[in-house]
Amino acid sequence: MKKRVLTLGTVACLVIGTLAGCGFTGSTDSSTTGGSSQSAASSEATFDKTADSSAGDQVLSVYANAEIKTLVQWAASDNQSSKVNNNAFEGLLRLDENHEAQPALAESYDVSDDKLTYTFHLRDGLQWSDGTPLTAKDFVFAWLKQMSAEATNGYSFIMTDYIVNGAEYNEGKASAEEVGVKALDDKTFQVTLKAPTPYFARLTVLCQFFPLNEEYVTSKGDQYGLSAENMIYCGPYVITSYDPAVGAALKKNDKYWDAANVKVGNAQVRVMKDASAALNAYLANELSQVALDSSNVAAYQNDPEFSSKSEFRTEYLQFSLSNPVMANKNIRRAVSMAIDRETLVKAILADGSAPSEGLVAEGMYGDESKSFRDLNGNICQFDPEQAKKYWEEGCKELGQTPALTLLVRDDSVTKAVATYIQSELNKNLGIDIVIDTKTVQARNELMDNDNYMFASTAWGADYDDAMTYLDLWTNGTPYRGSYQNEQYNKLINGARVETDDAKRLDMLLQAENLLVDEDVIVAPLYHRGSATLTKSNVKGLINHPFGPDVEFKYAYFK
Amino acid sequence: MIKYICKRLIYLALTLWVIVTATFFLMKKLPGSPFDAERFNMMSVQQQQAILEQYGLNQSVPRQYIKYMGNILHGDFGTSFTYTGQKVSAVIGGRIGPSALIGLQAVLIGLAVGLTLGIIAAWRHNSGIDYFTMIVAVLGVSVPNFVAAALLQYYVALKWGILPVGFWTEWKCSVLPSIALSFSATAMIARFIRTEMLEVLEQDYIVTAKAKGLSPMKVLMRHAVRNSIIPVVTILGPIVVNLLTGSLAVENIYTIPGIGSLFVDSIKANDYSTIMGITIFYSAFYIFVVLIVDIAYSLIDPRIRLAAGREG
Repeated sequence: MKKRVLTLGTVACLVIGTLAGCGFTGSTDSSTTGGSSQSAASSEATFDKTADSSAGDQVLSVYANAEIKTLVQWAASDNQSSKVNNNAFEGLLRLDENHEAQPALAESYDVSDDKLTYTFHLRDGLQWSDGTPLTAKDFVFAWLKQMSAEATNGYSFIMTDYIVNGAEYNEGKASAEEVGVKALDDKTFQVTLKAPTPYFARLTVLCQFFPLNEEYVTSKGDQYGLSAENMIYCGPYVITSYDPAVGAALKKNDKYWDAANVKVGNAQVRVMKDASAALNAYLANELSQVALDSSNVAAYQNDPEFSSKSEFRTEYLQFSLSNPVMANKNIRRAVSMAIDRETLVKAILADGSAPSEGLVAEGMYGDESKSFRDLNGNICQFDPEQAKKYWEEGCKELGQTPALTLLVRDDSVTKAVATYIQSELNKNLGIDIVIDTKTVQARNELMDNDNYMFASTAWGADYDDAMTYLDLWTNGTPYRGSYQNEQYNKLINGARVETDDAKRLDMLLQAENLLVDEDVIVAPLYHRGSATLTKSNVKGLINHPFGPDVEFKYAYFK
Repeated sequence: MIKYICKRLIYLALTLWVIVTATFFLMKKLPGSPFDAERFNMMSVQQQQAILEQYGLNQSVPRQYIKYMGNILHGDFGTSFTYTGQKVSAVIGGRIGPSALIGLQAVLIGLAVGLTLGIIAAWRHNSGIDYFTMIVAVLGVSVPNFVAAALLQYYVALKWGILPVGFWTEWKCSVLPSIALSFSATAMIARFIRTEMLEVLEQDYIVTAKAKGLSPMKVLMRHAVRNSIIPVVTILGPIVVNLLTGSLAVENIYTIPGIGSLFVDSIKANDYSTIMGITIFYSAFYIFVVLIVDIAYSLIDPRIRLAAGREG
């Protein structure tokens, strides 16, 4: 018996020893636990053994609330990958502290008089992290890759919609030489557009527009991007370790053209799916910044480390026009008017979200002096009395009081919002609606197959222009409620080619009015906000409202 | 014994085939596709075709099944739909280690603490220690492991700063999750061993052993514990499988890159190849552990014969 116990014990110890040896992603730094007297990030254990301690002991650490599924540029479409890629790569322009696009790898650019040709002049001496020169050809290769059939992130439209022969190249009807992207020489990159696009230069801050070194990417084949060793970088940081489930560790890129202005030596993006665990990690000084969920906002909103802001993301109700009930405009208007969005964001969400006054988010570019939202005003009125009248009118037209079913995805926030909508419609219209909760995939399938009445969904801006929201409703797909309106399409298509900025803006303002107010195709609910805590000794850690959401480049420790 | 093991391995292969086949066809019934519908709709027809071809989804389901079975016979579990370009075997391989480590530690804690508490409780029946053990057992079974995990994280890691709050950087990170996971195992083992021991302690051979003048410790270890441990081995199989294959809640709370969260995420994302890979791994592991438990019976009690027809 004793022998057996001894043998079993030895085997168990060996197994544990083996597992312990190979499972961890980091060093054996013992300073992980949080003493409150320690500075924000100096107590953090770096999970990358190769982190450069000479570049500074303090580590900037943020978290991702989902896994970083891929870093491959032409496959990535999620926030988590852009959190990492935006700091390890750079495009022709980069967003600054005020979310304005500023010259980055391109020192300057010229726009032709017809606003169709953009000529970008790259900086002197640009190089990749392995020392290889970075040239205009790297942009041509990356952009063609993003436009090709190989791209799996669903973002090719962000180039093919604008660049000459981009769509044709994607369909195999045009050669690479015929596409409007050219390297005039090593330092000059020229792009030819189909139509004037006032926000085109601002698009180049997105990860899809970052350059790639053809020789390197080709040499790595299908291994490119699967690990930190199989990538080279051109941004403020290089990635030193990457595990989709654990996160990414970054260190300052000495080959970066503006390395002198990058003050933080080491940074991390750590995967933490549980919001309360992330808050605990922040309180234990293991994170430099954390996002708060609604339940914690009240407790921290007077904390000097607290801040909140609204993002360029709108949550809205999508009505299906092919559904006989929702085809009735009075019914749609009644539903939209019966929801008090102010109470929704204050009492239910309480996380920095703003009540929607329209589909286009607060703060999105309008003209030089005002935002789009300021210009179009509040077109999502809450008026329970009017709502009731529209409802009764709609019921009369339908010849019955319809039963409504709201399709929602199964995350906790959406379920809470759906319950609130249910109570609002009960209170203000006197009806009981059914909430149909499905996984994201199942909800999408139902919407795709036009098998829904109205659904809760959302859209986050890809770039800082109202077009990112408004051009979604031009193709009449079931997902977008099967909306087909010639006038709407005329406005959007007109805005796509209009050279006069004021006229273009006016078309977009009209389009939003038509979609939300006149035709009530969507009922915007709220613009998603985020409430965060940031350690008081961390400065310049920027969270952009659109595109890449965290910027390490300007951060420093005080 | 060898004949018995060979027979069991054949059953194992057959069972696995049934599980794989059933899972494959049921999985295809999941609503939605592995691709985000909104992004997929934004792809051109060429891109949609390319991606369907890449994953073999442009073929009929029976053809996909035949191809899949052929591939797994060659050890190829396919490429993950979620983690672009990553092989399923590599994705699962990377996640087994952390789950297995905290699971194994939880089993050891459960065994050490549960056996000790159960034995002492039975030996000192109706004493303070007995009541204490039963309270521990009730708490262990009734408090969900995510509550234990959150409490341990708050007090031990955050308030007292003894161990890390989370992340997976060093061995210390595995201590709290292992303790949190071990609660229910500890309680179950303690209850089982106590009940069994109480019964055994009433047996004639215990009275005889005492009458022969054996020391109480010898009576306890040689006769009582050995004869009480069989039921524990029975429940140990499922406990080991549960603990070693990960707990979603505990993994999330402590940010452990384990297989539990991978399985749930892959189901949510309709990541067909990863769902299949993990199902095969879970099933094979479960069947294998059951086999080990059966073999362990005969090691603990030589009177138990594995194969029929060898007695007499």
